[in-house]
This record gives sequence, C-alpha cells and structure tokens, in this order.
Amino acid sequence: MARKRRHSEWQAGELNLTAMIDVAFQLLNFFVITVKPVDVFANLDVFRPQAEKVITKQEEEPPPMLEIMVYKEGYALGKRPMELSELDHKLDKIAGIDKGSMIIIKCTGDSTQAGLVSVLDLCAKNKLTKISIFSL
Amino acid sequence: MRKQDEIQLGGQLIAMIDVIFQIIIFFVCTSSMQDSSRDASIHLATAPHAKVEEGKNPLQVEIEINHRGRLTVGRSPLSDSELYAVMRKAIADSRPAQVPVVIRADGRATHAMVRKAMDTCTAAGIMQVSIAAFKEKGQ
Repeated sequence: MARKRRHSEWQAGELNLTAMIDVAFQLLNFFVITVKPVDVFANLDVFRPQAEKVITKQEEEPPPMLEIMVYKEGYALGKRPMELSELDHKLDKIAGIDKGSMIIIKCTGDSTQAGLVSVLDLCAKNKLTKISIFSL
Repeated sequence: MRKQDEIQLGGQLIAMIDVIFQIIIFFVCTSSMQDSSRDASIHLATAPHAKVEEGKNPLQVEIEINHRGRLTVGRSPLSDSELYAVMRKAIADSRPAQVPVVIRADGRATHAMVRKAMDTCTAAGIMQVSIAAFKEKGQ
C-alpha cells in the first residue's frame, strides 16, 4: 500500500518537457513567419527660406552657391541638363573643394518627390549639408 | 527529497517561460501599434546615404502627403489653414526649442503637392524641415 502511494506521488511530479518545447518551437515558427523586416527611415534636413528674405540676402552679399534644378524628366546643374551619375560626380568634386558650399535645389511643380530625394541623397553622400529648397 | 527539489524547479521553470512569452507577445503587439500612427499607403523614396532617423522627438510634427496630395498630421486630414494653426500651436508649445518638422511625402507625389506643406511651415515661422525617406527598405 505504502509502495503504491509513493509511486503515485512520483507520477504527479513528472515534468513533460517535450510538449513544452514543442509549443515553444510552434511559437518561434509563428513569429519568424509573421514578423516583417523593419523599415529603416532616414531624414534629410533642408532649409526652406522665405522668398523675400532671400532677395534681401542676395542684395547684401551673394554667398558661393550651386544651383541644381529638378524637373519632371531629369536634372540640371545650373542650366546644363545632366544625369544623376554625372551630378554625383560634380557634387563629389565640389565637396572636395568645400563641404560648406551652399546648395540651392529648385524644383518645378510637376517634378516628383522621388527626384528631389535622389538629389538630397547625393548631397548626403558627398557630405554637403547646407541645402535650401526653392519651388518654381 | 531530491525528487521533490526537481519537481519544484520544474514548476518554477514553466512559470518563468510563461512570463517570458507574455513579455514577447507584449512587445510584438506594442511595436505594431507604433507603426499604426503612420500612413502605410505612403511609399517613401529611397535615400541610402541619408542619416538614420534617431529616436522620435516628442515635439516632432510629422506631415504626411500621399501620392494624391492628401495632407495628414497624425492620420487626420488637414487643410492648409488647419495645418498653419497646428504649426503655430506647436511653435508656441515648444518654445524656446525649435519644432522639428518631418515631411513624409510619397515618392510619386509632385512637388506642387509638397510645396503647400513647405510654404505653410515657412509662413508659420519654421525654416528648417526634414524630408523622410527609406534608408533601407524592409520587404
């Protein structure tokens, strides 16, 4: 009788690890399948000066600046149309001379945001941080 | 005696694993809630060289513009005058600190659509804005 009781106590205390590990792996699988890779966001800082303030500033002393045009179809440095790769090359040269150069980006109304971001990305790549955006 | 110790240890282990799973589920749920404050239909342009967005400033105002030019702040659609009022209030609340403004515009949106938001910020007295982009796009 005493033996039987001892045996039943043993049975009640058994820990079934296999089932628990099984559930743990099921949960792990669920998370691996359902969790989406996280998007990494970036911010591109720009100045948006007021039109009238810029005019007075230009009258006082025009600082050295570079003008990039963003059109619907493409880009231009000054008035010279160019591809993004060529623009990158030019910006690299300018950054080599002076990283503090002022960059003015002028966007037409029908140009896309993606076009503007591409130019800002090139500026970030070449460590040019003084950027102002104007709208045409 | 030894068997009793094993049984006790087993019971504690189950409780601990249970708590760990509860914590994991909590973090999974709360992280997805953070994303819901942003409009998922906006496809940002990619800027692989831009600096990574560091922890969100509580004063930050995020202006979202979708590809149709719909302007929202905190998922509420706003007119230009309403946006102006929001920006003025944000400036008043954050003084003397500057209000960080982030424009999250869809890559397909035209500059004419984004210009309205930029002009409103300038009119409210905010001269520096940040343009959001994907540094690295998840799938």
